[in-house]
Amino acid sequence: MIDGRDAGRGGPALQVSGVSVTFGTTRALDDVSIQVQPGSVHALIGGNGSGKSTLIKVLAGVQPADRGGIITLGDRAYPVEAMSPEASHAAGLRFVHQDLGLFNDMTVAENFALYARYPLARGRRISWRALNTLVADVLGRFDIDATPRTLAGDLRPAGRTMVAIARALHDDEAAQRILVLDEPTASLPDHEVELLFDSLRRRARQGQAILFVSHRLREVLSLASRLTILRDGRSIATCDAASTTEQEVIELIAGRAVDKLYSVPASVTGGTPSVIVERLSAGPVSDVSFSVRPGEILGIAGLLGSGRTSLLRALFGDLKTRAGVALVGDRAGPFRSPKQAMAAGVAYVPEDRRGDAAFLDQSVQENLSAAAAARYFRRLWMQQATERRESRRLVDQFMIKTESIASPLDWLSGGNQQKVILARWMQRGPKLLLLDEPTQGVDAVARADIYRLIRRTAANGAAVIIVSSDLEELAHICDRAVVLVRGSLVREVHGDELNPERLYHLIQPAVVGT
Amino acid sequence: MTARPEAGLGAAPRNDKPRRPLRSGIGQATLRMLKLVGERYALIALFIIVCLTFSLLPSTRTTFPTVLNIRQVLSGQSALIIVTIGEIFPLLTGGFDLSIGAVCTLSAVACATAMSRFGLPLGVTILIGLASGVLIGAVNGLLIARAKLNSIMVTLGMSTLLTGLVTWYTQGNDILTGISQTVTNFGTLLWIGIPRPIYLVVIVVVVCWYLLGHTPFGRRVHAIGSNARAAHLVGINIPAHVLTCYVISGSLSGVAGVLTVAANGGAVVTLGEGLLFPALTAVFLGATVITVGRFNVLGAVLGVVFVAASVSGLTLAGASSWVNDIFNGAALIIAVGVSTLVGWRTRR
Repeated sequence: MIDGRDAGRGGPALQVSGVSVTFGTTRALDDVSIQVQPGSVHALIGGNGSGKSTLIKVLAGVQPADRGGIITLGDRAYPVEAMSPEASHAAGLRFVHQDLGLFNDMTVAENFALYARYPLARGRRISWRALNTLVADVLGRFDIDATPRTLAGDLRPAGRTMVAIARALHDDEAAQRILVLDEPTASLPDHEVELLFDSLRRRARQGQAILFVSHRLREVLSLASRLTILRDGRSIATCDAASTTEQEVIELIAGRAVDKLYSVPASVTGGTPSVIVERLSAGPVSDVSFSVRPGEILGIAGLLGSGRTSLLRALFGDLKTRAGVALVGDRAGPFRSPKQAMAAGVAYVPEDRRGDAAFLDQSVQENLSAAAAARYFRRLWMQQATERRESRRLVDQFMIKTESIASPLDWLSGGNQQKVILARWMQRGPKLLLLDEPTQGVDAVARADIYRLIRRTAANGAAVIIVSSDLEELAHICDRAVVLVRGSLVREVHGDELNPERLYHLIQPAVVGT
Repeated sequence: MTARPEAGLGAAPRNDKPRRPLRSGIGQATLRMLKLVGERYALIALFIIVCLTFSLLPSTRTTFPTVLNIRQVLSGQSALIIVTIGEIFPLLTGGFDLSIGAVCTLSAVACATAMSRFGLPLGVTILIGLASGVLIGAVNGLLIARAKLNSIMVTLGMSTLLTGLVTWYTQGNDILTGISQTVTNFGTLLWIGIPRPIYLVVIVVVVCWYLLGHTPFGRRVHAIGSNARAAHLVGINIPAHVLTCYVISGSLSGVAGVLTVAANGGAVVTLGEGLLFPALTAVFLGATVITVGRFNVLGAVLGVVFVAASVSGLTLAGASSWVNDIFNGAALIIAVGVSTLVGWRTRR
């Protein structure tokens, strides 16, 4: 460890040492240690599945950790196995998550009161005057340009984040608390990020210790003074931001030489494109053009909010397009409804499985045939025997682990649910398969299965488009990738250039002032 | 990791029906399935117990298990069974149709008026009764499916509006004169020992059972109720299906309205008020049997018959008319409770 004890008041504000979390036989966190100095921003970075979010959950007291770890705040030490949400709060840890938890149609003061509590006047009625005075005072301390009566929804994006931060720290007069920010910039435009960072730097100068989690590397380097890099549940390195380059950090995150990560997939060169997208604009996506050949797997790399999901939804007829053409086989789109897109041979596996794809209370069988029910309707009757036989075949073929095809989908694990959704679409023999984060929340074994299924679908002649925030995954499975930044397609990547480090560079929007 | 053959050991039997354990070690899955079977037939068992009790109880032994009483119970519930089945459709899409009772009254009044006041031909009067149900169902459906209004509010408003209109038109008086003999015969006479309305009920039951259980339409309606967003993303035209469901429930209320004209020899303006609540009770009771946790046609019929048999038995045993409300209220709460618990357990 290269941590110095250079901060004014002696020890670190937050010290995490020897924290481990074991799920069955796998270790999500393995002996992780971090020190956050008072008055500094400490960044926690790492790839998908590196253990970042598990560590945050342990700190918040919502994820039980193995015995033995110690969390020290100032001069008080807490055994990690005794953490609970209440203990975490009492110890002085304050969290602001990506979803800020603000109610947009309520005023700033009301948002404060819901978090803390309403000050009461005589007769147990709410004392609005006391509340407004208190909130005005906190807003002043945090230099937030708003009044207690401003609606949260009327604030600018960075202002909303600052209100959430001020709310979390409102009772922290002497900067005694630790502020944990979990991906606070994920949905902020660049100039708003700068505004937020300015006020965070100011807070830090006033003595606030901040633990900052993000995967926007350039931002992290411009804000944090120190960084800890997690990989495979271990704290790999801790270093000074000033003396570290982006390239070095990326290599630490990846942990391996790129060209040895995965074998390069056989690239498809021949054939004419079966999917052609010309100057398509929809939602945040503007003027995007590309094409995909049958059997080819095209990756879309981009940060959250880059328009990657909107692009897939537009191709599936789920999002209205403003302009442009999308050709699938011999059908000219853009399609106006999912039904039309399906008729042209498009299939779409959405990112939010539980919200957008799964019929959780319905059986595995019903979920499998949800996009093909009419196929079993023959001689005016649902041919259930045929349907059952077909469902069992799919369960075998897609290696879905379930007690029965009659089990509700909710009884299956996340990975197996995902395989059911994939089977629902792949059985249709799609011409264009759209996959949004196909391996999200899926364990390593199921992940390998899913890659194989995707390859097979491509080999059967489908054009496949994959959106993933896991850049290693994109580099691993795709023949080619395009990079989306703020709705525009900025670059196409293939061959040797298709590696996680390069993609990481490309997807970053330029930070204003650096 | 590639093609792993499905291991025999530890792999649960992949089967659509519960079956006896083949070997030890798969006990848990089988147990879960057995519990499901227990739940699946609980209401049927309860129904049998109720029937046996009243057949053996000294005070009802001579009156309850008689052909006359069974006939009375069944034919008395014909209209209720039909509106109950209609109510299943909106419920499956995740909405409510609270106007079924009022639509039933409207249809009865429209049909009876056309007959007695305007002397229109029989076929036309029946069509008028049915058309009023279709029309109101379509208005409800358009407001809910296209304008995306809250179904409870729309149909509650529609119910109150229709009740007001009917009272205004009839001045609150029943229309009991000038009703065609053919119609009243259908409502009161028997065919081969069975009340004639029962034949109509059977037709409605079979058609709806087929629609919901054996057609892609039924699949899609279930999908909408399970997860509307996911249903949209598998290509289902949600507004069209929701609209159809409200038209079906309106139409069946219209059918029930015409049937009450036949059964009562005219339009009784207060009759519809009492239908909504028992219909909801029966549908929710029905969701605890056959396909557990799901509104289904056969379950709903059983729900109506179960409540009717219990109330009949209690009345014959000496209870007065208040028993109807008490029994329906308690049954609805229990039914909602049980189906919610089943839902929770499934979610675990």
